[in-house]
Amino acid sequence: MQAADKTFIQLLNQHQKIIHKVCNLYLNWQEDKEDLFQEITLQAWKAYGQFRGDAKFSTWLYRVALNTAITFFRKDKKKDFIESVADLPENIDFAERDSIEEKTQAMYKAIASLSKIDKAIVMLYLEDYSYAEISEIIGITANNIAVKMNRIKVKLREATLKNFERI
Amino acid sequence: MELDDLKGLINQKLIEGSLDKTEHNFANLLKGKANSVVSKIKKSLWFEIACSFLVVLLFLGIAFSSSYHSLKIYFGLFGAVFIPFTYILFYLLKKVNEFEHSVLPIKGNLQQLIKMLEDFTRRYFQFNMALLPICFLLAFYLGLNEKEPVAILDNLSIKLKVTKSLYIGFIIGYSIALIVSLVYFTKWYIRKLYGKYIEQLKSLLAELKEE
Repeated sequence: MQAADKTFIQLLNQHQKIIHKVCNLYLNWQEDKEDLFQEITLQAWKAYGQFRGDAKFSTWLYRVALNTAITFFRKDKKKDFIESVADLPENIDFAERDSIEEKTQAMYKAIASLSKIDKAIVMLYLEDYSYAEISEIIGITANNIAVKMNRIKVKLREATLKNFERI
Repeated sequence: MELDDLKGLINQKLIEGSLDKTEHNFANLLKGKANSVVSKIKKSLWFEIACSFLVVLLFLGIAFSSSYHSLKIYFGLFGAVFIPFTYILFYLLKKVNEFEHSVLPIKGNLQQLIKMLEDFTRRYFQFNMALLPICFLLAFYLGLNEKEPVAILDNLSIKLKVTKSLYIGFIIGYSIALIVSLVYFTKWYIRKLYGKYIEQLKSLLAELKEE
């Protein structure tokens, strides 16, 4: 294995949480998540030659991972992306009636029901990226990101309340 | 219930249940094959380049070895047409490779991907449609002007007991039906391969329009 390969694998290993998060946010089924994980890894490897180091590796990896997840489509509709609130992530346990936990579950469901683009914006927002940084990754102006984020917050608030009442 | 209040917990939930991969796992993942639409286009392009090479060799071989003047022109022309087509395929492959190795912002990535897919499908359709008139009209023209009679075709009209004009009319009708079917089939085939995907990408891009 060459030095560049080793460095890349080490970097990926250190930042693998990013790929896990993107896979969990965009897909519902374990098998599909594994496929997407591999796809992101391969895509990052192909593009690694162009990584100049002028941006943080984590930011660069987010860009690769989100691009791959957004353009990743499944032919089998049953195994498609989490599109409705009925498609719950596997790790939600409704038996526990803890208020904070329930709120988190309700919010998680609401995020899962967002469009692919909105999910990407929320994911970067959750990572505490500034609007300027998010705009560089998404490719639209920071003002536009701010407008979108406000709308997403309203959408999430309403959806979370609905989901919370159902729990 | 605000997103900001639950930031930490949502972040935590996003990695719940994920098993940490080792460096060995990553090394193995890199040996796998990609299944993205870009990889599929690359495979299609390589397959078509290989087919085009074979067609050029085979058709030019027939053109040079056939004793029929019409077959020489017909296969010679087809073989020649496939040479620029192969060049176009290599050009598209170069574009796909460049795209695959770049990391653009999400909006730019969607725009490039849509453009690449539309270019690919447009060229594919145009080339197929360009071949149709060459295929049919040239075949008729050369067939009618063939100096040496083609025994099989001449015997066919005698066996079917039809007049020459009815026979020609039948062939023209059959050709028109076949051309129309081929146009619709090619459109359907391209749409089935990439049409729905392009529409999905366009709707994603529409979401990113500046407001």
